[in-house]
This record gives sequence, structure tokens and C-alpha cells, in this order.
Amino acid sequence: MSRILVIADYRDGKLSEATLELCKAAKEIASGLGATAAGAVFSKDDSIANELAKYVPEVLSVVDPKLEKYTSDGYSQAAKAVIESQDVQGVLFAHSYDGVDYAAKVALSVDAAIITNCNKIEISDGAPLFTRSIYNGKINEQRKIKTDKFIATLEKGAYDKEEAGDAGTVTPVSVTIGDIRTIVKEIVETMAGAVDISQAKIIVAGGRGTKDQDKFNDVIVSLAKKLGGEFAGSRPVIDSGWTEAARQVGQSGKTVAPILYIAAGISGSIQHVAGMKGSQCIVAVNKDPEAPIFNIATYGIVADLFEVLPAIMEELG
Amino acid sequence: MKIVVCVKEVPDMESKFNIIDDCRIDESQVAFKMNDFDEYAVEEALQIKEKFGGEVIIVSAGPDRIVKDIRQSFAMGADWGVHINDRDVDSGDSFVLASAISKAIEKIGDVDLVLTGVQAEDDMAAVIGVMIAEMMGLPHCTNVAKVQIGDDKKSITINRELEGGLNEVLETTLPAVLSIQSGINQPRYATLPRIMQAKKKRLDVERGAELGVSELGEAGSKTSFIKMFIPIAEHRAELIEGDPKAAAATLVDKLKNEVKVI
Repeated sequence: MSRILVIADYRDGKLSEATLELCKAAKEIASGLGATAAGAVFSKDDSIANELAKYVPEVLSVVDPKLEKYTSDGYSQAAKAVIESQDVQGVLFAHSYDGVDYAAKVALSVDAAIITNCNKIEISDGAPLFTRSIYNGKINEQRKIKTDKFIATLEKGAYDKEEAGDAGTVTPVSVTIGDIRTIVKEIVETMAGAVDISQAKIIVAGGRGTKDQDKFNDVIVSLAKKLGGEFAGSRPVIDSGWTEAARQVGQSGKTVAPILYIAAGISGSIQHVAGMKGSQCIVAVNKDPEAPIFNIATYGIVADLFEVLPAIMEELG
Repeated sequence: MKIVVCVKEVPDMESKFNIIDDCRIDESQVAFKMNDFDEYAVEEALQIKEKFGGEVIIVSAGPDRIVKDIRQSFAMGADWGVHINDRDVDSGDSFVLASAISKAIEKIGDVDLVLTGVQAEDDMAAVIGVMIAEMMGLPHCTNVAKVQIGDDKKSITINRELEGGLNEVLETTLPAVLSIQSGINQPRYATLPRIMQAKKKRLDVERGAELGVSELGEAGSKTSFIKMFIPIAEHRAELIEGDPKAAAATLVDKLKNEVKVI
């Protein structure tokens, strides 16, 4: 029986949440195609494979000291060997930093189509139908594949996490890992020793719509202080240097879940939402009625933030 | 050093998008600009050129309207460029585009470094850099937050962005392909003299077939486009109406008395 294969995404000896979402997706897709869900782990030992076996019935484990740290060359060779030696119909990667680094490389190496950043994979006329976000999430497109095998990366949160169950089998797959052209030296923290906004009960965050650093300080920082909370920014604000990196909320920054999150001038990209969707009450202020932030906010005000935020300040007295 | 930067012209994401025939956006209603990520890539290339000497070459695929954004890269300081102006490339998927760009880079020859942006704001695929690297047999790195090239102009140390503010530091050797993350630098503005100079810089025009691309258009693609649509959100915020003062008053009241968060 052919497999829908989950490629494990892990760090520091722990499977990522995204991997558990892939397991749920793989089972759904496999069920629709008359296939079976399986996982693949590339590592220095079986420990991650044994963990993944709680979520899928079969795990293919490639063990080699060269795979201790992720490298695109090493992991691509392992993936190619597994895909070509086993009966694999489709491969799921997380659309994570690691997944994005090598999924397309694997796709080309096994001559499979790749469709990235999918938020849904259904079966239509016996074939997989992929839905993905485009235009900053304002539009969705659907695609099908023309090759026998497919490779897809899934958006974080597109599927729920699979629950742990009975242990599946772990089967070793022997692969000769050849040349690796990159050397991993170390992992460094870019936000160490700075403010920790993840502890704040109230956060006021500004995005690109706050226009410049002075205006950001005027409306965002002041309102945060008035409410006794912390101020934060979406990625573009940090990229432009309007506030420090430790105040970035999002996939590449901090994950926060305060009681109140006010998002002003923030469009609500998937990467930003990933960092704050656990907030209890979300208020969005944006003059674009189509901004995706309004799809996750509790309350929304479609208006100019430079009029609304000062009005809120005044109302607070 | 010969540095190629792949840039893409994309619609301004704050535009209102209307979909025609379930298959394309109404271009008459949108403004086009350089993909944000690619601006950072051009700036990075210019900084490397300032340090090591050499040339920065822009490669971009798209219809006639993209020339203004290629010239904007020239105005920032890029030296010359290649415009792949071919409907059979535009109508293809990422695989076709990457094939065409790879052939264009091979034709340029002796390229030391290829930079792309992390992804295009419109298609959000994030695959072109990785595909080019694989097609050309070059090492690559994505989501690059820092680049340091050694004095030997061969060794390169890269910071690759990871989740939660972490960076992975890795080393490789040139030639290589890097996809550049936003925030790596502050892209320079084009000065008026530079904008005037940009009009005279060399811009070659290429087509897929002449470049030797064997797989073009929908026929050469590995994926097929089915349709596009505006997604229906499962949830919608409770919108507070009224002028800013009235809306602010209503909001503060709700935050105090309804959800009791302040």
C-alpha cells in the first residue's frame, strides 16, 4: 500500500507541533486515497522516530551521525532515498524554517511536483486538490499536480494536532549519506537579555500602518503605557528598526497570549497571527476592511488608527 | 565578484483585489511595486559589491510593466540586468520560472553568488531560490538574516533564521544561492542622479526558448492551476461602528464591562 509520508520537523530532541499537525493531515489524505500514513525521521538515533511512532502507524528511520544536525544536503539525501526505496505517493513537510529550506530540493531530486504553504489538501476526483494562501492571505488558490508523486508543505495551524496513540512500528532505512556542503557551527539567540513581552497581560502592537518611528512611539507606546501594558510590533516594524527585536510578535519572534492584545495597523499575516492568536481578547484597528486580522479579532474598528488610538487614550482618562 | 539578484514585481498588497473568471486578479485596479524581500536582496548585493568590488546583475521575469522595477534596482546601484519577457514563462509554475532563471544565470556565466528574496508577496511559494540551487548544483541557504563573506571571496558564514528569534550559523563556499530575509539591512533610496543613470544601464531581453528552457508554459509545469477565490472567513470580528470618538467610547466600554479585560 502506498504511503503519505510525514517528514519529521524537530529541534532539541523534540518533535515540533507542526509535525503532529502533519500526522493528522497525512491520515486524512491517506484515507481519501486508499493509502496509509507513515513518518520519516532523519537523525543520529531512533529516539525521535520512537516518539513519532505514537502518532503514525509506521515510521521509517534513517540514522547516521551525519544527520545529527539538519543540513539541506544531508536531509535531502535521506529523504530522496526513503521516497525512492519505499512506496510513497505523497510527502508532507511543515512550512517551517527547516521545511522551507529543503522541501523543494527534495521535490526536484525525485522529480515530484511541489505545492507549498497549503492550508488544505482534499481529494477531488481521486486526486489530491491543494488549497494555498496567496496575496498575503487575502486570496486562496487551488492547484493539482501533474506528476505521480507530490510534495507539499503545510501552513502552521492548517490542521489540528494528532493525538498520541498506540506505538506504531519503527523500521530502519539504510542510506549512504554522501557529500554535505554546509557546516553548522552554532545556534545563537537574537533576543537574549532584552524585555520579555510574553509575560505581559496587556499588549499594544503596531504594524506597518503606524508609518514611522515617531508615530509608532506617539500612538503605540503611549497607549501601552496608559493601559499598564507592553508595546510590541509586527515584523515590518522591527525590520525598519522602529523598535527592538525582542518586541517582535510572530513566527520569527515572540509568541504571546495576553488577556488583551490591541493590533493597530497590522494586516494579520499568517506569520504574525501565529504569534498572538492565543490572546484572550483581540482588538484590531485597521483602515483596510479586507485585512486578515479582522478574521481572528474579537472586536474590530475599520478606521484610521491615528484617530482611533488617541480617542481611546482620551476615553481612558 | 559577480552577484545576481532575482527580483519580482508584485502587486501592492494593500490594494483591493477583484478576481476575474476565478483565475486572475483585475490588474487595472492595482499598483505594482518591487517585492519587499527582493529590495533587501538588492541592498545586500550592493553592500557586498561595495566591500569586494564586482558587479550586481538583476534577473527578473514578467511582462513589459516590470521594466520600471528593474530600473529601480539599477537606480539603487545594480549594474545591468536581464528581463525574461515571455508569456510562456509567466504562464508556467515555479518549476518553469526557476528553470528560466537558472538558464539566464548560466548564460551570464561565472556567477559567484545568487540572491533571491525569501518569497514573493503574491504567490508566497518560497521555492525559487531552493530550486535554482538544485538545478545549478549549488549549495543554498534560505531565510538568511546575515551574510559574511571571507576575504578569500570564497568562504561564507551565514545566519539562517529559525523560529522564536534563534539563528543558525553555518558555513559554506561560493558559488551559492541565498534567499534573503527582510530586516537584514536598510535598503537605500535611489537618488535622482541615480534614477537618471538607471535609464541608460544595459537591460537584455530574453525568452525561455532562446535560453534553452525545454519545459515552458502550462505544458511544462509540474502543477496545474485550478482556480483562485476570496476565502470565506470562519470568524469575523464584531465591528464597532461610528466615528473614531464614538467607536473608541464603545470599545472602552466593552473592554471594561463586557470582556472585563481592563
